Formats: sequence, structure tokens, C-alpha cells
Amino acid sequence: MTSQIRAGHLMEELSGKVGGAELYELRSLETPVSFRAGALESVKTVETTGRALRVIHEGRMGFSTTTDLADGKTLVQNALQSAQFGGPAPFEFPERQAAQSVACYDPEVEGMDAAALIALGEEVVDRLKAHDPGLQIDLSASSDVEQITLLNTSGLEIEDRRTYLNLGIELVRTRGDDILVLWDSASSHAASEIDAMAMVDRLIERLRWAETTAKVESKAMPIVFSSLATMCLLLPLSEGLDGRNVYEGASPLGEKLGQQVLDRRFTLVDDGRLDYASLSAPYDDEGTPTAKKTLVEEGIVRQFLYDLKTAAKAGARPTGNGFKAGGFADRSFRLPPIIKPATQVVLPGDKKLDDMLQELGETILVESVIGLGQGNTLSGEFSNNVSTGFLVRNGEVVGRVKNTMIAGNVYELLKHQLIGLSDRAEWVFGLLHTPAIAVDGVGVTSQG
Amino acid sequence: MRDRILKALEQSGADYAEIRVEREWRTKVAYQGRDLENLEASSELGGIVRCLVGGGWGISVFNTLDEMEERVEDAQRIAKLVSGRVSEKVELAPVDPVQDEVRVALEKDPRTVSLQEKQALLQAYNELVLGHSDKIVSTRCRYTDSFKEVTIASSQGTYIVEERPDVTLMLGAMAREGDGNVQLAAESDGWALGFEAVEGKEERARTAAQRALDLLKAKPVTGGVYTAVLDQRLAGVFIHEAFGHLCEADFISKNPTLQQVLSPGRRFGMDELNVVEEGYLPGQRGNFKYDDEGTPRTKTYLIRDGILEGFLHSRETAARMGAEPKGNARAVSYRYEPIVRMRNTYIDQGTVPLDEMIKDVKHGIYAGYAFGGQTELEQFTFSAGYAREIVDGKLGEMLRDVVLTGNIFETLKNIDRIGDDLEILGSSGGCGKGGQYPLGVTVGSPHIRIQNLTIGGRAA
Repeated sequence: MTSQIRAGHLMEELSGKVGGAELYELRSLETPVSFRAGALESVKTVETTGRALRVIHEGRMGFSTTTDLADGKTLVQNALQSAQFGGPAPFEFPERQAAQSVACYDPEVEGMDAAALIALGEEVVDRLKAHDPGLQIDLSASSDVEQITLLNTSGLEIEDRRTYLNLGIELVRTRGDDILVLWDSASSHAASEIDAMAMVDRLIERLRWAETTAKVESKAMPIVFSSLATMCLLLPLSEGLDGRNVYEGASPLGEKLGQQVLDRRFTLVDDGRLDYASLSAPYDDEGTPTAKKTLVEEGIVRQFLYDLKTAAKAGARPTGNGFKAGGFADRSFRLPPIIKPATQVVLPGDKKLDDMLQELGETILVESVIGLGQGNTLSGEFSNNVSTGFLVRNGEVVGRVKNTMIAGNVYELLKHQLIGLSDRAEWVFGLLHTPAIAVDGVGVTSQG
Repeated sequence: MRDRILKALEQSGADYAEIRVEREWRTKVAYQGRDLENLEASSELGGIVRCLVGGGWGISVFNTLDEMEERVEDAQRIAKLVSGRVSEKVELAPVDPVQDEVRVALEKDPRTVSLQEKQALLQAYNELVLGHSDKIVSTRCRYTDSFKEVTIASSQGTYIVEERPDVTLMLGAMAREGDGNVQLAAESDGWALGFEAVEGKEERARTAAQRALDLLKAKPVTGGVYTAVLDQRLAGVFIHEAFGHLCEADFISKNPTLQQVLSPGRRFGMDELNVVEEGYLPGQRGNFKYDDEGTPRTKTYLIRDGILEGFLHSRETAARMGAEPKGNARAVSYRYEPIVRMRNTYIDQGTVPLDEMIKDVKHGIYAGYAFGGQTELEQFTFSAGYAREIVDGKLGEMLRDVVLTGNIFETLKNIDRIGDDLEILGSSGGCGKGGQYPLGVTVGSPHIRIQNLTIGGRAA
């Protein structure tokens, strides 16, 4: 066994030699099991050890990562070399600030071995097979344990142990040339937060709705984005609220702080402190305490998201959103921290989804889209194929809509065309907590 | 290392055991606007063991290479958990064991080019983009290189050491006018070459900046059904999304209903349509001699003369479907097992010159460059970086926000012209599947024309 260099030792060595240094160390063990076509396919263990070093030398930032914990020398050399020509770092690494605890660890998840995950997978697969033995069922379940150490030359020392339980289900139903693909996923720090059977019931409901296909005309019409599909609207918005885009003049919201830009009924919160939410942690990956921030309050822009570097450049306060990854990206030590949202929470409205659908006459209930984020999202544009969507007439599902595109501009739709938000927020992939959102005037193009 | 690997394989009692070890050196330079966003030099070492026991897979991934034998035992132990539960035992199609050492000779090995030189080159491109106009408010410029030494060894006698270079360049421009009109344009490329491949790309920087400016004046496209002419890159992304993914046998091999729909011999397009999956084009992005199971990468036809011919295979899917593996089992890194992936997927050369293709289009769209694409088996989308109207056989006004969609069973049949100007293109991004992103691939095609293509947009 090669001897490993202690993280603290590296900090001591760098202290005084450079303006500042920060070491992020990750040790993790992931156990993913995967099912394909309704049967167990593989079990895997992924053990990761890695370090990322940031140094500030004469106002410039250097960055390097390694998987070799025994070789501190190369890591330091690489970081110092990159600092010689690196970009400006107009900030200092923070001292430790007090932060209230956030629940990120669940012993039940740590105790879940491959056998337990296989049992979870089998339960899901059996229930889906009972509904339709012809379904192609792919599933992945994994339990992850992460030990994170964050140290810097300002004296910050954070040790954090986190667990993650992840579950992803994908169904393919093939009937001649008609192929239906449905999927859902969930992720949380705690096992009790993942309701696999509720996910299954939801998928079965969609399978039933898709028994028939329905034709839809090309025109501008009201669309209901189910909680699952709100990503389509929230993704452009979160780019507009990214402090980096604001700082460089690229965000359409940049000069709108304090102004009414969206409908009064729309409130969006970025919450890094929800117990057991997969994006929650007491501190972000730079040591800034996470926070709950209202970004859009009753349609008024209140706050942008910042990491240390952009906050310093923009003269703003860091918001605890400096993450090494987020959203769908792998959690990893390999990337330098950048601005990423924590859990995005949209406050619910006051109407039941069923009532909303009934009042709309004819609408498409969109469940998922293809091509998310591929286009000019910064200006709020979206244009997506409706991968799963249902034509609903007077509250009754007519059938599945195919070969259909929806397009519009998020800023216009949420300002002038908001019909309403449903009264129940739901978890989406463990990343968002939102109600269904109905908007009018969406461009629908279909060869249904 | 060799001894340790061989010993661990020898001691394994698994039906099949495979060890892959990767050592990587990589650097990155990224500019965002005026600021150097990241300058990085990093290294990585890791390995993966795959064991097959009683037809089930056990896999172990690690960064510490000292305990190779224990890792093999681990993988074997968890494979046993799986073996009792598989519905169909995994078998591997036979491949001749290979012993080879593939070293590359690069004109400018990125490991010997200084970080300063890389930073200076990207800075110069960044300044060209920024300086193009005062309406260019920011940039997204990025240089990356990676040099991997990959060792692939198996209990069947394969032992390969292969050097795998990768270098990418993305030059992105962001233009802004007025309140909310923000437009992005980018040029991107990637090669399995050295630093020399990214030098002398000043023209690409100007192209990206000018396109972003032009897009400020462009009209948003009106949603509808169009006759569309696609440039080489967009047509390449189209065939990758529309057909390439569907031909990956891991989707098909366990799905009998899908096998009926996708049976070889079924017509998917006109006689002139040939879709090729090339195995090894030295120097092109993601091109190496072997795949990650140690199978030599060779050419295969997906569509020949309009007819579906074959699929892409790993050793596992090839065994299940009675096919021959041609080197499509690829892993994005040592953290993942190889899965069925594309390499160089292109529509083969046709005969129609571009101007003839456009000449008889009364009202249509010429679309170029690609932001990306996504597929969900039957339906797929791909988005253009820019487009122009075609009116009475001539190129007209610039259009933006052009996202095209299609249906696998209809859209290929609607290709009615295939051009004579085939290009094979790498990019700075890559292909994503099963959590494995970005995998270096190339796409290619001549210009093609497609009838009745749906383009999303606001209502007319």
C-alpha cells in the first residue's frame, strides 16, 4: 500500500508560499446495480479517491486534480504552473463560517449493499411486468457514500459525509412501428425519501394514457407542463439567474433586479438547505454556507446566484452556489467550482391539476421532451419534440401526441401567457420541486 | 504493471476476466469573455475489472492499483450475485486474442507543449472573437487536450497497450443587441492528433463571431413542415441521431419486438442511401486501433443501397445476435464498462451538386452547423446553429432557433437528394449514452435534402 500524503500536510506546505490555497478531497464508494430487459445485468462497485487543488498566486488562479493521493508533488507543481499564467482571482478563500446542519447522511443508505439494491430493483420490475409482460424494462439503482474534505489556507476545515440513493427507470413499449419510451428518476440523501412504488404507479398511468394516439393541429395553443416537464421552462430561467451570465451582460434579467419580469403568481426559490434533498449540503464546494434564497418573488427578480469568483467581480455576496457539479452532471472532484443551482423550488398555485385541465378545453399535457437545452436557452427560447405528451379535451385524456414540436420563449410565456400553477408541487429527478405549469400561446407544430 | 495485471488475471477463477487501466495527462484552457476562466493541468490513474461468472457481470472500478488481485476477486464475488439471477446467460462472441503496443508519433505532443503556449494561443483566438464587433459581449472559448495510455488485458490472452491522444477546440461567440436579443454561435473541432491540429484556426474564430452577429438580425423560424437542405455537419448529426443510435445492438438484442421492426433487409431509404460506420480513421477524433474490449475496429455498413444491413455490436450483443463484433464496444473512461457505441458514422458520397439541390426548392430551409441532437429510438431532434430561407431556388434571409425533428420510419425515406461533397467532422463535444459522456466520435455526410421535415417554432 503506497502511503498517502495527508491533505492537511499539503496545506501546511503551501501556506505562506502562495497567496492562498484550497484542497478538495473526495473518497467515495458507489454501488450501482443495473437491470436490462427486466433482468439483472450487472453489479458494480466504484471506489474513487481524488483531489483538486486551487492556488492563488500573485492574484492568479491555478488548478489541478489528481487521483494519486501519494503524489502531492505533481499536484502542487501542476497547480503552481497553471497559476503562473492563470486567470484573475480577485478573492480570498473564506474562513470557516458557522452553518446550521442540513441532513445529508442516512445510515440506511450506507447500509444498502448490492443485495438490497437488487431487491429494490426486482420489486419495481415485478410490478411493471405484472402490468405488461411485454415491456422492456431497464433500471439502475445505486447507493453512494461520499466523504468530502475541504481545507484552505484561511483555516477552513470541513469534513462531511453524505449518502445518496439513486433510482432510474426506463420503459420501452414497442407495438409495430410505434415505440413509446417513458422514464423517471429520483435521487436523495435518504432512502425514505424515494418512493419507488409511487414512481411505478405514475409510469403505469402514463402507459394507460398512451394506449391510443391522438392527432393534434399545428397552431398556438395552451400547454400544461407537468411537474416532470417544467425543466423545459426552468432551465432557460436558471441560466438567466446565473450571476456569471448577469455579470457579462448575457442575461436578459441582468438589469431587471427589483423589476416585475414575470407573472405575479410565479415565485422561484433556490434552496440549498432542504433536508435530504440530493443537492443540499451545509456548505458549497468552496466553503460558503448554503442558503435558501428567493430568486423571483411574485414575478419580481430578487436575487442572482454567485460563487466566490463571480461575486467578487460583480461586487455581490456569494450565495453558496459554488459547486463542482450539479444537476445531471456527475458529482466529481475534477472540475473547478462554478455557479450551479441547488434545489429549485417553484411555489404551487391554488388549482387542482384535474380542474385546470378541465377548464382549458383542448390542451396538451407535456410529460417529457427531447432536445432539452439544445438551442438558445440564454434568450429564453425553447423548441422541443414532445417525447411524452397527451392530448386532453375537457379534462379527458384523448391519447398520446407524437411527431409534435412545441416552441416559445420562456420570458414571454411566464409573463404574459401564464394560465396558472397547480396546487401540488412534486419532486422531479430529486433536483426540482415544482407544481405543473400551464401557459397559453405555445407554438405547436405537428405531423401527428 | 504488466506482471501485476497478468498475475491477477491468472489467479482469477472467473469464466472471463478483463482489466483495463488508464493513465491520463490532460490540460484545459477556457475563456469566458475577457477572463481566463480555467487553466488546468491534471493527471489521472485508474482501472476497471470486469468478470463474467455464470453468465453475469461483476465490475469493480478503482484508483488505487496496488491491490489488483483483490479487485479481481471483488468483481468475481459480485458477479456470482448476478449469475443466479440473469434471465439469459451472457456469452461473448469469439475474438482472436491480440498482443500489441500502439505508440503514436505526434507532431507536437501536448505533454511537451507548455501551458503558457496553449493559453497564449487560446487567448489570441478569444481576442479575435471579442474584437470582431462591439456587439460581441462575451465568448465561450475552450481548448482541451488529453493523452491516455490504455492497457487492455483479458484472461483470453489479449494484452494491448494503446496511446490515445485527443485535442479539441471550441470557439464560441455571444452577441447581444437591445434588451433581450442574445445570440450564440460556435465553431468546434476535435482530433486524435497533437497541438498542431488547433493552430492556425483564426478564420474559425471570425466565422463564429460573424455568425453570432448575423443571428442578431435573423428572424425566428416559423414552425411548419419544410423541404430542408442540410449541410455536412448537420446531416452528420442527423444520421448519428436518427439512425446510428437505433443500430446499437444493446437496444435491440434483448427486445424481440424491436428486432421484428428492425429486421435486416427492411428498406429505410432510396437506393442511393448508404450509411457507413467506419472503424478506424487515424487522426480523426476518437479514432484508435482497438475498442475497449480489445477488438480491432473495422468498417461496417448500417444501410447499403437503402436497405438495413447490420448493427453495431459488443462481444456480448454479437454473441446474442449471431454477428461478428467489429470494435464498437467503447468506454468513455476507466470508470465505465464498454457499451455499444458509434465511431465514425456517415452518409456516403452521392452525386448531386449543392446548387442543383437548392435550385428546384420553391420554399424551404437551408440549415447548417449543429448545436446538438437527441434521440429516443423512434423520434429524434437535432438543432441547427443557423439557417437560411430558400425561396424560388435561391438562398434568402437568415433564420434562427431552428430545431428539426423526425421519425425514424419516415424521415430517412424522405431524403431525396444526396450531395457530392462528403466531409467527416470531429467536434469538441461528444456523444452521450448511459451516463457516459463525452465520447469522441465523428459525424459525416455530403449535403442532403429531406422532404416534409418538421421544424418547431412559433405559429405562423
